[in-house]
Amino acid sequence: MIPAILTGVRLHMKQASRNPFDLSGVIVWPILYASIAYYLLDAKNDPRLLLSASLGAAVMLMWSLVVIASSGALEQQRWQGTLELVVAAPTPLTAVIGPICIAGALVGAYAIGATLTWGALLFDVPVKVEQPLAFAIAIPACALAVGMLGLIMAATFVLYRASFHLGIATQYPVWIVSGLLVPISFLPDFVRPLSWVLAPTWGFRAIQEAALGGTPWPDIGMCLVLSLVYLAIGGSCLVAFEYVARARGSLRLT
Amino acid sequence: MPVIEVEDVTRRYRSRTGTFRRRATVVEALRGVSFTVERGELFGLLGPNGAGKTTMIKILTTLLLPTSGSARVLGFDVRREARRIRGRVGYVFGGDRGLYDRLSALDNLRYFADLYRVAPRDRRARIDSLLELVELKGRERERVETYSRGMKQRLHIARGLLHDPELLFLDEPTIGLDPLGARELRETIAALHDAGKTILLTTHYMYEADALCERIAVIANGSFVATGTPLDLKAVVGDNTIVEIETFGIRDETIERLRKIPGVKGVGVETRDQAQVLLVQSAVGADVVRALLNELADAVTGKVVTREPTLEDAYVELVRSA
Repeated sequence: MIPAILTGVRLHMKQASRNPFDLSGVIVWPILYASIAYYLLDAKNDPRLLLSASLGAAVMLMWSLVVIASSGALEQQRWQGTLELVVAAPTPLTAVIGPICIAGALVGAYAIGATLTWGALLFDVPVKVEQPLAFAIAIPACALAVGMLGLIMAATFVLYRASFHLGIATQYPVWIVSGLLVPISFLPDFVRPLSWVLAPTWGFRAIQEAALGGTPWPDIGMCLVLSLVYLAIGGSCLVAFEYVARARGSLRLT
Repeated sequence: MPVIEVEDVTRRYRSRTGTFRRRATVVEALRGVSFTVERGELFGLLGPNGAGKTTMIKILTTLLLPTSGSARVLGFDVRREARRIRGRVGYVFGGDRGLYDRLSALDNLRYFADLYRVAPRDRRARIDSLLELVELKGRERERVETYSRGMKQRLHIARGLLHDPELLFLDEPTIGLDPLGARELRETIAALHDAGKTILLTTHYMYEADALCERIAVIANGSFVATGTPLDLKAVVGDNTIVEIETFGIRDETIERLRKIPGVKGVGVETRDQAQVLLVQSAVGADVVRALLNELADAVTGKVVTREPTLEDAYVELVRSA
């Protein structure tokens, strides 16, 4: 199963790199998100707040890329007729779809760097990281957790044709509830439990704490715990949804 | 023990239409189908579009569940032991779909080799030998999107054989191929059969089924209407002679009049390019040609041929009477 996962990650990244639409998005979007961070909070005079906003925008982009990668890739597999073939293979579907989400998250990890770089070049956002080691670990931990959250969403894409649109629709709610656009403390109390179960909340906190100086390790730990929980839920959903798709005959619908 | 055992399998598809007043519709794709395929056999499944051929293959490759009845592949139940079946069978379908177009053929084969758990030490040699088999050696690093349809179809075959499956499902593999490409693919299929593979083949092309298959089942409206060797099926119309008459712009009422001519057992119409070709079945020895041409006196007619029945004639007769 490990070779299938590694090859899957490599080939899905390779395939995305050959799509002009995906490529232009990965180049242009970080500039847009860096601009959002700069103008949204109007924090020109507060370098720490400016960096924090840039990091929030970067994690927003990571989540968007995972959603688009997982939903878009499955939609594409259905359209190009490979979904049936990967389901017909003896490898569990989790090891087929997981790499698609991880590939999306790895592109998202790159997008964090690109967003911060554009922020520094265009808007003088200070990229000063207080804890470089924790920062270097927090980014892949965040990518893994966000990718595994994408796996849960991807499970529904196996079942429903319209899941691509559903996936796209989750972008804004997750940005808000995870505290990427505005601090969680601004949100109503009843929303907070939802924030706690979403990977971008902890991923953003881990990266932010490592960059600004704080205690990132508990947040990194939460990213890893959530990754395992998401993997268990996503894997179980995929087994169940694959069975339902076989019963309904919905794998090939285009 | 048979490699495929299908017993009284039905498959229904449910769909809903309407926005506010949702109405459920049920389509019965398979209605109580039973058959077996023995090890090493090349078994053909013939039928018109929508007859249930692909549904049957998808049940056997574990992509669909039967609504009722039982199906076993290589001794494993398709409902409960799907994963054990998947590693042992290969599935190839016709057409342009089913490949990662932006990747090379080599990348496609590497990925599917991993998905089918080909040991890493064997992977390279296996891929090389299959590229040789399907004559894509030297082109394997090119993107699949640049391939012709025939090359894509050959790549499909290579993909389906990566894990050296005991049983191969070929769903209309020659569809859309040019005559040369289709012939080469038929030769590949025949070579695989000679090498001992069990193959279940669906096709629209009768000469293909006649040339390749040891046994054939004809399926229409979700039910098997005949099963047997090509010779057995031809015997359905064996006591007939076929008269082919090329016509242009013939009317339905004229065809009805032809059916009433003494000695005529059936009339079918095929469109070939600009022409309509009447396929008239008559009893051996009955001279119906003169009577047919008399009825067609007002129509534009071309070539007239009298010949022995083929598998296609048997197929048309079986499907029409289903």
